[in-house]
Amino acid sequence: MAENKLKAKEQAFKELSSKDKTKKITDLLLNNAMYIIIVLAVIYISIKVPAFLKLPSIVNVISLTAAKLPIALGIGGCIVLTGTDISAGRVVGLTACISASLLTTTFKVFPDMASAPPIIVVLLVILVAGGLVGLVNGFSVAKFKLHPFIVTLSTQLIVYGIILMYLMKGTNNGQTLSGLTDGYRNLITGTLFSIPTATGNVAVPKYVLYSIILVILMWVIWNKTTFGKNMFAVGSNEEAANVSGVNVSRTIIMVFVLAGMMYALTGFLDGARIASANANTGLNYECDAIAACVIGGVSFVGGIGRISGIVVGVLLLQIIFTGLNFLAVDANMLYIIKGLIILIACAIDMRKYLVKK
Amino acid sequence: MEKQTASSDNKNVLLRMEGICKEFPGVKALDNVNLTVKAGTVHALMGENGAGKSTLMKCLFGVYNKDSGHIYLEGNEINFKTSKEALENGVAMVHQELNQALKRNVMDNMWLGRFPKISKWCPLTSEKKMYEATEKVFEELEVHVDPKMVMSRMPVSQRQMVEIAKAVSFNSKVIVFDEPTSSLTEEEVEHLFRIINMLRDRGCGIIYISHKMEEILRISDEVTIMRDGQWVATRPAKELTMNEIIRLMVGRELTNRYPEKDNKVGEPILQVKNLTAQYSLLKDVSFEAKAGEVLGVAGLDGSGRTELLENIFGIATRKEGEIYLHGKRMMNRNARESLANKFAMLTEERRATGIFGIRDIQANTTISSLPKYRRGPFLSDKLMSESTEWGINAMRTKTPSQKTQIRSLSGGNQQKVILARWLLTDPEVLLLDEPTRGIDVGAKYEIYQLILDLAKQGKTIIMVSSEMPELLGVCDRILVMSGGRLSGEVGAKETSQEEIMTLAARYA
Amino acid sequence: MEESKQQPEQQTRQLRGLYSKVKISVRTLNIIIVVLVALLIGCMAFGISKGGFRVSFDTQGGTPVEMQSGIMYGEKMEPPEIPTREGFEFDGWYSDPEGTMVFDTESDPVTESITLYAKWKEK
Repeated sequence: MAENKLKAKEQAFKELSSKDKTKKITDLLLNNAMYIIIVLAVIYISIKVPAFLKLPSIVNVISLTAAKLPIALGIGGCIVLTGTDISAGRVVGLTACISASLLTTTFKVFPDMASAPPIIVVLLVILVAGGLVGLVNGFSVAKFKLHPFIVTLSTQLIVYGIILMYLMKGTNNGQTLSGLTDGYRNLITGTLFSIPTATGNVAVPKYVLYSIILVILMWVIWNKTTFGKNMFAVGSNEEAANVSGVNVSRTIIMVFVLAGMMYALTGFLDGARIASANANTGLNYECDAIAACVIGGVSFVGGIGRISGIVVGVLLLQIIFTGLNFLAVDANMLYIIKGLIILIACAIDMRKYLVKK
Repeated sequence: MEKQTASSDNKNVLLRMEGICKEFPGVKALDNVNLTVKAGTVHALMGENGAGKSTLMKCLFGVYNKDSGHIYLEGNEINFKTSKEALENGVAMVHQELNQALKRNVMDNMWLGRFPKISKWCPLTSEKKMYEATEKVFEELEVHVDPKMVMSRMPVSQRQMVEIAKAVSFNSKVIVFDEPTSSLTEEEVEHLFRIINMLRDRGCGIIYISHKMEEILRISDEVTIMRDGQWVATRPAKELTMNEIIRLMVGRELTNRYPEKDNKVGEPILQVKNLTAQYSLLKDVSFEAKAGEVLGVAGLDGSGRTELLENIFGIATRKEGEIYLHGKRMMNRNARESLANKFAMLTEERRATGIFGIRDIQANTTISSLPKYRRGPFLSDKLMSESTEWGINAMRTKTPSQKTQIRSLSGGNQQKVILARWLLTDPEVLLLDEPTRGIDVGAKYEIYQLILDLAKQGKTIIMVSSEMPELLGVCDRILVMSGGRLSGEVGAKETSQEEIMTLAARYA
Repeated sequence: MEESKQQPEQQTRQLRGLYSKVKISVRTLNIIIVVLVALLIGCMAFGISKGGFRVSFDTQGGTPVEMQSGIMYGEKMEPPEIPTREGFEFDGWYSDPEGTMVFDTESDPVTESITLYAKWKEK
């Protein structure tokens, strides 16, 4: 079946005039420029540093991808609404700090506390915190029709201020929070299963599983619920959605709240994963997440995007940056490369939807 | 050769458009239209909504490229690419909808794009020169406006004066007025006419587009009437009467383009009382609609037809008025509430407020009835595709599959998908705003058939249309709107296009 | 007839979202993409050619220790000299200023550019 299809395509291609052929090839090359660059880079890196394709490095890439997935899943929804969310990284920081301050053995922020509260309570607290920031974002976007960029820019600053003040509480004095409880660390970074290799076992951490669960959850929400369908409708044509009886404001608010909760979960994972949290935790995470979404085909045109695309986007971005790290590329240069990747991804995205008109 | 005849033909001719044709996919918008404007005259351009007046003007200003035909300005063939080019060559237009930078002041708007410089060597703009030049133009036109006033603080009429002054300041030879009086008071209209007369005496050629016949008969020297993209007649205004104009404008035969009407009109179920809008001109509209009835709403553009439907459906803010369905008061504060109250509305601008272009047929069909497909917390794909399949079959939509993007369908098929969307919500009252706009003739017939089928099922249908033959062919009764008010109600069988046109012009 | 009003709008209307006001030809966009890709590859090549991590040392009041650079991924750094501080005894290198995470300069591989902090014990 697939072969027939391929043959039919090949036949159709042969029938095209030479001018159409060049056009088709340029289309193919340019629309997939991002993927082509990444594949070439991976090939180059694995020749230069063979360790890049070894199991430990692959597991490393997968775990880092898993750690950054939830935030991208959250931002994806905002982009589907033709918006964006640049407060994401700071929300991650805030929730990581809250988790690290509560699930600790030293209690610098709350000197009066004797023992860590149950993990589930902390999880609820950070979900509420993330949800609240999302609520503020969503409410301002939906009701005041402010551009999400402006709204989330201000919440980003506000949240940063809150983080700094939070870290000054108690006897902490703005220092990095560490000394997390074993229960918290085991829950997140404990070994899910380990793969034996010649040089020793490679452990896959538990948070990979949590990320997979979140991906499935988000897939169901996007594709199988009224909310998901409404979200895509609002993203592709807000006025038509309103006329069709969709509660536009509620949909926008819910997308942002859900995104806020996703950032909170990222923060919860990150606290344990890095084993500490400070004011800079989560800095610039939103850049990676937005880049991943755009690479993964969540378009700024609005109403377009798939969960699978986001997963692929995060994975590709992680591969390229791990690879560049293997080549010991300067971290400062990585920022420039990241910025260029976002620009290219946007230009390609724009090109796809310009051609189709 | 032709050029020479054109110039030697009549020395007095300022602008001459010959054999202008413009075709859009599936529609012939202009078919061999001629227009000749003499210097020192006011030439009125008339026609029903969509007769091709605006398209003709857009061809003159280069907004559209004409397919064929020639335009001569003072004997020289011209072909403007942009309206800026037109302005520089002495052809200006005062638009019906003012395109002005409202947050800037009067003189900024007048000199936008050509700000005077302090001197050749100093590229800074000169406020002083600008002020003086503005004052000079205003004095000529007897306009009393402070050039430093911010646009948004002035009434529409004054803003229009500024627009006219701008056209004059370009030393335009041909000035087009597109429905200039629609937002003016009587006094302001007098002022406008004084200005127009002055421009005429100076030797300008004026093209005056309007629906208001009294005005046209008063101000114009010649009248050109268009219908369905074709030139119908050009006559001196003195030889015309109002009835004559109406006859020329609508004079088209009703052909058998409509399905047989076999719906049975039942009891009145919908009452609308004293409906008045908060932010639009809709005022004090009351009517009744019966089950199984197709109720038409006629009127000119901007007569409040769309606003009437939007106010009933609750997507525009109501000031006063009550809506009763089966004797029960319906609040209809927003689309969701109206939907629950079994109302449905097909909007006028399909692409702007109807379709979700990049979503597939299924998503477009099911969006308004999603709760129906819920099984537990999740939506059932099976139920959704069944409903979509029903919609495609019932509407006879031509589409490769349910997963096709709706924007790749033709206008008629898009309209059918949206109709299916609304039918899945099981409405009792269907509000249709221009249901056949931008649809080819064959598909129109199918839409009419669908409308009548729905009426046969006992649904009440209120249908707004700019095409009078369509209303006469499909509806049972027709409400005529004029200037935001209901100016009459006629039975579709007994009335004529002339009668509707007269009613439509009543408060215009 | 009404089609005439809608046709030109159709093309812009369907492109909503952030690109609703984009007026750019595909050709220009192609050039932009190619230029950006070239720039990206250039940056990567430059970054790779200048590759190598830096390790800097913050002695927190002790005698300065020279920075090391050009360390490739997974390599170990050369053992740094041991700083001294009056009244204190050197207690090893740490990767955080608070001195909670020990960095063993002899066995821990370098995987990114880092700053190591000296920890001091009072004599």
